[in-house]
Amino acid sequence: MALKNNVKALRTELNYTQEDLGKRVGVSRQTIISIERYRYKPSLELAMKIAHELGAKMEALFYFE
Amino acid sequence: MSLSKKEWSIAIEIVYSIAIALVFLPFFVHNQATSFERADLIGTLTEITVFSVLYFSIAYAVLELSHRSKITDDERCDMIHSKAYKLGYILYEIALLVFIGSLIRPAQAALQNGGVICVVLSLLIAISTIKSVYQLYLHRTL
Repeated sequence: MALKNNVKALRTELNYTQEDLGKRVGVSRQTIISIERYRYKPSLELAMKIAHELGAKMEALFYFE
Repeated sequence: MSLSKKEWSIAIEIVYSIAIALVFLPFFVHNQATSFERADLIGTLTEITVFSVLYFSIAYAVLELSHRSKITDDERCDMIHSKAYKLGYILYEIALLVFIGSLIRPAQAALQNGGVICVVLSLLIAISTIKSVYQLYLHRTL
């Protein structure tokens, strides 16, 4: 089972750039890129911050596939 | 291929290691059998120090001018740092064994301090380069 996410879909819905979202949650644009490409698994704290900024529930944002 | 500011700063370290290997290491390789007095080394050590200060001042000034944004050190950076420094630590342990081995090898005459400097400098340059290349690789692939 791999951990996937809907960060890119929800981010583009809100018209945030990767840079915008990175600034809002206090990480670099590269980190957002890595999360969206499933290369980097964020910490619980960062995942919750992203969910909060995107107005999504954790289980809707991150899921196993 | 565009590099982020963080990746450029790592690339600067890699180039520095390679430059030290190309510019200063040959002097110690050619003088491995030499027993240096302290005064003999002061000139070379001064050159290395001046070169290092100038290199990093110029390189980071150019980097700051070309990339105005601030480097954001986040949890991903911390993880990459941890992995790279873990590799560096393992390499230092291996290097220590290599260094001790080079001191006690029976077939050779005792190393002069020129030889000791050559071995230590070679190992440090190799470790630093491998660590930085790995760090850059992780930044590009993670």
